Amino acid sequence: MQHCTPEQLALAALREPLPAGDAAHLAHCAQCRADVASWQRSVDALAVPQLAAPGAPVAPPARVWAAIAAATGVSSAPRSVPPVASAPEPAAEQAPAAEPPPNVVPLRRGRRRTVLLVAAAAVVGAVIGAGAVAAVRGGDDGVAVQSVALAPLTAAHASGSAVVLERDDGTRVLRLDLKAPALDHAYYEAWLLQPDIKGMVPLGMVESGQTDFELPAGLDLGRFPVVDVSVEPLDGNPAHSGDSVVRGELKT
Amino acid sequence: MFIGTVTVVDFAPDVSGDPRPDDHEVGRLFAAGDEQALAWAYERWAGQVHGMAVRAFGPGPDAEDITQQTFVSAWTGRRAYRPEQGPLPAWLVGVCRHKIADTWARRDRQRRETEAAAAEARATPAGPVTPGVDTAVADRVLLLDELDRLGQPQKGIIELAFFEDLTHAQIADRTGLPLGTVKSHIRRTLERLRTRLEVDGAALHA
Repeated sequence: MQHCTPEQLALAALREPLPAGDAAHLAHCAQCRADVASWQRSVDALAVPQLAAPGAPVAPPARVWAAIAAATGVSSAPRSVPPVASAPEPAAEQAPAAEPPPNVVPLRRGRRRTVLLVAAAAVVGAVIGAGAVAAVRGGDDGVAVQSVALAPLTAAHASGSAVVLERDDGTRVLRLDLKAPALDHAYYEAWLLQPDIKGMVPLGMVESGQTDFELPAGLDLGRFPVVDVSVEPLDGNPAHSGDSVVRGELKT
Repeated sequence: MFIGTVTVVDFAPDVSGDPRPDDHEVGRLFAAGDEQALAWAYERWAGQVHGMAVRAFGPGPDAEDITQQTFVSAWTGRRAYRPEQGPLPAWLVGVCRHKIADTWARRDRQRRETEAAAAEARATPAGPVTPGVDTAVADRVLLLDELDRLGQPQKGIIELAFFEDLTHAQIADRTGLPLGTVKSHIRRTLERLRTRLEVDGAALHA
C-alpha cells in the first residue's frame, strides 16, 4: 500500500492509534517509521507529567507573595492569600529538598489512547515480584509502631493514613488507608521514598480503602520513611510517574 | 474560539459583594501594568501555578521558587502577554513551564560541571571529560521557546495534544475546528518543532 499521509504519521508520533491499514503499513515501512521517530523527540520531551496542564491547585505559603512583592516593588496585595488548608505543608517540612525526577525517571506520559494491556500486565507482575509484597489477611494485627497522616498533594480529594504494625513474629505490615477517587485507565501505587526522593521502594497497587503490605525483612524505614501514593498510567513504565496524590513521613 | 489550558479555581470566593473584574479584565489590566492586577492574578491563579511547581519539584523551597519566579517574570515581561491570544492563566502556566524546564537545564549543567571537575581531579587520562548533556532536558528549553512563537490556533492545538493529552478528535470537539484542520496544524507544528531541534539542538550539543 501507499505510504501513510504525513498527517497520520504526526498522529502516530503523538501515539494516537491509526486506522488498521495505516497501522499495518507503518509496522513494515522503515521510511514511515523514521518520520514518526523524528517527530517523537519533541513529543517525548514536552508531553511529560511535570509540564502537563495544571491539576488540583496547591496554595503557596504566604512568603511566596511577600517575595514577589519585594522583587517587583508592587505595593498592592492579594485580598486574601489562598487558604493554607489545602497546602501540603506537613509534607513540605518533611521533604524540603525534593529533587525532580527528570534526570532519573524516564519522562513518559501515560497517553490514554495507547493503553497496552500486555505491558500493563507486565507492570503488575513486576511490581508484585519486585516488592515482595504480600497482602496480609486475617491473623493478629500486631502493634502499631509508627503512623502518619497522609497529606494531599496534587489531588484535592485524596487523603489517607498509614500505620506500621509489628507482629509477634517480628514481621512488619504497613497498613494504608486511602481515600481517593476511582481512576480511569490508571491506578494508584504505594511507595516508600527517601526524604530526598532519590530512592524509592515500590509497595504495590492500592485502591481506595484499606490495604496491607508485608514489608520485606531488613527494609530500613529510617531510610525510606516517606509513604507516598502515586497515580500510575497504564503505560508499561514501572517507574514512579511523578504524580503523587498523598504523602506523609513516618515518625517513630 | 477559546483555547485555554487552565480551569479557574477561585480560592477566595468573593463574599463581601465587592465588584471585582472578570478574568479577561484582569488579563487586560495586567498587560497594561496595573499593579492591582498582579495581586488579582496571584489571588486567582497562584494555586494553579504552585500546584504545577509542586508536581515537578515536590513541595518545598524549590517549588516556591518556581512560583515566585513565574509571577515575577510574568510581571516584568508582561508586555509579551497578548490578551487576544489567550487567557492570562494559560499564559502564566506557559511561563511556569519555562521556569521548570530552565531549572532542570541549569541543574543538568551543574551536574555536568561537577562531574567534569571530578573527572579532572582524578586526572582521568582517557575518556570523555565532558559528560553528556541530557538531551530531553536541553530539548525542552528550545521547544518551549518555539511554542511561544506559534500563533493561534496552532499553539492552543498543540498544547491540548501535549499538555492535556487530547486526541485530535477531542481537540476538534474542544475547539470547534474541523478534524482536517486540526490534523494539518498538528503535522505542521511537529515539523516546525523538529526543524528547531535540528537547527538549534545540533548547535547546543556540539
